Amino acid sequence: MIFLRRQVPLLITLITGIVFAAQYYVPHPASEQMLTSVTKWLQIIGGFALVLGVSSLFHVHAIKIRRKEAGWGYSFVLYVSMLGTIAVGLWSNGKEAVDGTMTAFGWIYNFMMVPLQGTMFAILAFFIASAAYRSFRARSREAAVLLIAAVIVMMGRVPLGEYLIPLSGDLSQWILNVLNASVRRAILIGVSLGTVALSIKIIFGMERSYLGGGKE
Amino acid sequence: MSFAERMLKIDRRIIFLVIGFCTLLPLLYPVGLPIKISPEVRGVYDYIESLPEGSVFLLSLDFDPASKPELHPQAISLLRHAFRKNLRVIAMTLWVSGTGMADQVVTQVAREMGKESGKDYVFLGWSPGGTAVIINMGQDLYGAFPADYNGKPTKGLPVLQGIASLRDVSYAVSLGAGNPGVEAWYVFGKDKYKFELAGGCTGVMAPGLYPLLRSGQINGLIGGLRGAAEYETLIGQKGKAIAGMDAQSATHLAIIVLVIICNLFYFSLRKQATQQGHSGA
Repeated sequence: MIFLRRQVPLLITLITGIVFAAQYYVPHPASEQMLTSVTKWLQIIGGFALVLGVSSLFHVHAIKIRRKEAGWGYSFVLYVSMLGTIAVGLWSNGKEAVDGTMTAFGWIYNFMMVPLQGTMFAILAFFIASAAYRSFRARSREAAVLLIAAVIVMMGRVPLGEYLIPLSGDLSQWILNVLNASVRRAILIGVSLGTVALSIKIIFGMERSYLGGGKE
Repeated sequence: MSFAERMLKIDRRIIFLVIGFCTLLPLLYPVGLPIKISPEVRGVYDYIESLPEGSVFLLSLDFDPASKPELHPQAISLLRHAFRKNLRVIAMTLWVSGTGMADQVVTQVAREMGKESGKDYVFLGWSPGGTAVIINMGQDLYGAFPADYNGKPTKGLPVLQGIASLRDVSYAVSLGAGNPGVEAWYVFGKDKYKFELAGGCTGVMAPGLYPLLRSGQINGLIGGLRGAAEYETLIGQKGKAIAGMDAQSATHLAIIVLVIICNLFYFSLRKQATQQGHSGA
């Protein structure tokens, strides 16, 4: 059993890792055909992952409701809305509109999901303003630099700021294009090198945490 | 408790009220300040302008309703521009929760511009797999999307004539609110299948995409509501983004004023504490 649980997955990872890293550099039709087939598998697996995610969500919240844990009422609301949406979605054949006429599923999408998600995102502006007032203080030299940069970018990104201080637009562009881009690039390169190192470790079986912690 | 201390611990509902007014008043009484066009937004506009009629324009609406206020106006402007230039438009999404919204915006703008589904444009909808969908489209477009959103087989659609994969796309723009989005389109799409790419994103995401812009990995970037307002200005069709710029101006200014006030009180308190320390010694 250890062979099936450990050695086989490690072998599959090793072979597919090396083959697909090499595939990128081989433009032969057979190599391209192989990539086409594998991406189709990926799409199919992606579909199953969705089912797995939904069933896992149901399972977690079912336990909460059964045990009457704190906030179980929210889990109940989740159950009702999810089952309701699935039922209406299946009934509407997954379409929000048919020949320009809104279906029940479209009604749920347009008049519940869109405003709810929009509201969640919109209230961020209020919390950001409140948090900025409470915590954006020039406590140190670094914090002062950050504060000045933030004020310049905030001024430079809106017409009123450019109207009041015409230089703020160009200054904000410079901050974004030079200071921000160079630092971001350094972070990106670091992250990419880390990803390459981790991939090599996974391919050659040095990193095995993805296999899970089951009994040997 | 001193005045400065009380002001630093001000009830946050007052701040909410200030932001609420700063958002609402400019929407009711717009000022319409001029909007300066940035080079990154002009990059997208100029490239679409340079495309000959019938070129293939792919628009991936990779966002959900949470980012609608910023990315919806971008999508409308880009679609209006592409349809006006008589480009063949392929629209799609990598975000399942954005499918209905994407369909609505594409259909609405197409109807407004007198374009026909299947002939002038196609909405492919969503397919599972995230970034794998991009690779699959790069290998075989019809394998990734055998049918469009309305269930019509994609093979044989006049709008897709001569298109086999992403290699045949003249220009792609991803309007992304996260992952998969602009970066995924570069890493899994442009880098391998060699098409020109640009991005559109929410305001908070824009600074993270500047390295791609500076290195030429994307040839333009539409950032947030401001970017959308710039694009609306460029195509000469005022929309929700230009209308929202006054509100954004006012809220930005309100936050700046709040931050300055908070720092003034903070320094006055610090000075007070230092003076008390000296007199105590």
